[in-house]
Amino acid sequence: MTEVPVKIEKNGQWVVSKIDIQKEAMNLQEPLNRQIPYKSIVDLVEKKNILLVTLKGEPGEVVRIASVEKVLQALKRVIIMSCSAYRLTAYFMSPAVRGGVLVTNAQWEKGAIAVLKSGIWFVSQNKQVSVPLREVAGIELTKREVQNKQVDVVKIDHLEDSEVVTSFVLCPLSTLNVLFNFLKDTTKDMDMAGNELDALGAQVGMLIYSGMDSHAIENMLNVSHKDLDEIYDKLIQLGLAEVMFIRKEVQLTPKGVRYISEAVKPPQ
Amino acid sequence: MGRILIVDDTLFMRTLIKNILFSGGHDIVGEAADGDEAVAKYKDLKPDLVTMDVVMPKVNGIEALKQIRAIDPTARVVMCTAVGQEQMVKLAIKTGARGYIVKPFQAPKVLEEIKNVLGS
Repeated sequence: MTEVPVKIEKNGQWVVSKIDIQKEAMNLQEPLNRQIPYKSIVDLVEKKNILLVTLKGEPGEVVRIASVEKVLQALKRVIIMSCSAYRLTAYFMSPAVRGGVLVTNAQWEKGAIAVLKSGIWFVSQNKQVSVPLREVAGIELTKREVQNKQVDVVKIDHLEDSEVVTSFVLCPLSTLNVLFNFLKDTTKDMDMAGNELDALGAQVGMLIYSGMDSHAIENMLNVSHKDLDEIYDKLIQLGLAEVMFIRKEVQLTPKGVRYISEAVKPPQ
Repeated sequence: MGRILIVDDTLFMRTLIKNILFSGGHDIVGEAADGDEAVAKYKDLKPDLVTMDVVMPKVNGIEALKQIRAIDPTARVVMCTAVGQEQMVKLAIKTGARGYIVKPFQAPKVLEEIKNVLGS
């Protein structure tokens, strides 16, 4: 059907090759000479300009394919639409909210949703959006107004390059329930009672979410460094936060005081 | 950089927004804790932009937005609300809001939105 230029990893080396995209399989050309039926693909992950294609098996072999954006888009589309996955026709809106800011030109797009091993993909004529399951921060079955009617939708909050993005999926309620239950089940280790933090802890969490550093948080909430450290410890212990780096607070030694005192003296 | 009026009924949210906007080099000209105070301060301070909470005691954010737009049809107001109140979006945009942010939000995106609205 279509032949596209790619680089494929073989024994740790990138090999220049071509892929012949057929209806049922993709044929990796010289020097690999290998056919990969789409039905043997169970997962697809994109990292920068590299596609990680996982094949059936325990553990499944991972084929790494690099190419330009346009080629990868074509490959992704055909793999997502033909691989071994749960697929449903749906409308989706992604992103609807990014970092808390409403995307005013967001629109519902008709397409397909494919649920793969490590994530879900939204695919429309013009768009391919991947939501890795480990990046899903929240799922909710809710209602949203579409053409003046309240309809059921699944709202998915997920992280994309450290930004919290909200996407919506719209399809018949029975299918929506399947998707919701699947996502709920695969991310159940993130479920919490909601009362693990006191009011101050929740405020600290909110400020971290907004991008405030510890100095700004101490000033805003008027808490001591020691108290804030305790709240951080609790957030870490609950798995709600992780240490980015440890900043040192130091004081000058007598040698340091002498050095600085000398340094600020006017030149003789 | 703009002269901004922050409207929210909670001190915590006002302080958070103030910190974010301040870090982006904006000048915070005033704060208001309800819709009435927002309208009065708008008349008085003539800010370049208002960040307006939707759910507030006395006069809510949508009503305050209406009143501000009646005083100044070119007023730039960015609405701010909690998750789950997105149905307010349509009403706010119809009423003349220039942007909409949903709590919780991330500072860089808020600054980007404010910059866009100020430039519009």
